[in-house]
Amino acid sequence: MFDLLFSLFVTTILVSLGYFFGRRAEIKHFNNLVKREATMNKLPAMASRIPPGDGEYDQYLVSGSVVIANDYFKSFVAGLRNIFGGKVRTYETLLDRARREAVLRMKEKAQALGAEAVFNVKYEASNISGQYNKRLPVIEVHAYGTALKKQF
Amino acid sequence: MEYHNPKIPEHINTSREHPLKEFSILLIATLALVVIVSLLLGVGGSWFAGKIPFSAENKVASFYDITEFTDSASHPELTAYLQSLADKISVAQKLPKEMRITAHYMDSDTVNAFATLGGNLFIYRGLLEKIDNENMLVTLLAHEIGHVKHRHPIKSLGHGVAVSIAMIALTGSGSTNIMGNAGILTVLKFSRDMEKEADQEAMNTLHALYGHLGGGADLFAMFKKMRQKMKMDESPALLSTHPLDQDRIDSFKTMASEKGWKSKGKMTPLPGFFKDSLQSKRQ
Repeated sequence: MFDLLFSLFVTTILVSLGYFFGRRAEIKHFNNLVKREATMNKLPAMASRIPPGDGEYDQYLVSGSVVIANDYFKSFVAGLRNIFGGKVRTYETLLDRARREAVLRMKEKAQALGAEAVFNVKYEASNISGQYNKRLPVIEVHAYGTALKKQF
Repeated sequence: MEYHNPKIPEHINTSREHPLKEFSILLIATLALVVIVSLLLGVGGSWFAGKIPFSAENKVASFYDITEFTDSASHPELTAYLQSLADKISVAQKLPKEMRITAHYMDSDTVNAFATLGGNLFIYRGLLEKIDNENMLVTLLAHEIGHVKHRHPIKSLGHGVAVSIAMIALTGSGSTNIMGNAGILTVLKFSRDMEKEADQEAMNTLHALYGHLGGGADLFAMFKKMRQKMKMDESPALLSTHPLDQDRIDSFKTMASEKGWKSKGKMTPLPGFFKDSLQSKRQ
């Protein structure tokens, strides 16, 4: 009985900590993303594999990657979601943040090169905790593409 | 050709819903599921366990050498007396032939007595010291034998096992020791209905053996006094599995008046060696 109460207590603490800090970090991150995207939209990133045919371009490989830690609250809700099925909304925000951050970092690199656009953009997402996903719930999203810089 | 990354509206890939809403709905649903499943499985497990023949229960119980843990051997006279009472009660309760009750004496200060698998009864010195007459002792033994008669130990075990399995299946973890605390030598948890059923058996037995219910209420009055002395607060009736002491004391009067039985009568004294046996081998 004591064991049960103790683990209930620990779980409650972890879930509340996860909620307060995770939620704070998430809201902050989303606000930051919206702001940076508004300026970075001048430098378009395209999924198209064919570069524009109106000139000669130098091509550079650019990439951006981000590692985001999950929090206990998200895992807890996802665990409960596992019982009933349906959209895991707590992970949707996590992955959305990671994808957008990765693209922004990639664009920032392209901008530093003086590129006009990034073509052939691709994403890769992975769980860097490997098989120990219970102990270390951390995801990595990697975005990469070809930065095009006009030749003079 | 022009290339643009327009501003994309928020909340296409993510939900606008507050995460706490999903959390509370899921939590409530899960808790409801756990309660319903454990109730259903508990009732089912208990029902199935009740169908296990007593001979099978005996076989399981015989895997354990119970005598190793008891002090019956060092107190033969007392044990024989307890056994003779148990046999008398078995006849009075019309137990089936294969349902044999074995009384075990435990030389310990613990104020307790309990029935467990295989018709094994454990009676502690601490409790026997508080017994004033045979009628009280018979009430106690008849109550425990009543548990055996109604298969409460195995039902309680079946209930516990079914619930443990459900919890392991649901949470993916949990105690791997499915039998949990429901081992052979430990006190099994009986529901309030089970306790009431056993009390009924005790009353019937008292009437059959002595022609009155005297001593029965005394036993529970003794428990009540003891609890008050230890300042153990009685938990509200809903939370406690045992019926409240006062309710049990009253139930003897109610039963007597309902059936037209005598609630009091001549008490049978305990045999002379009883108190001496409890003293012996005490250090």
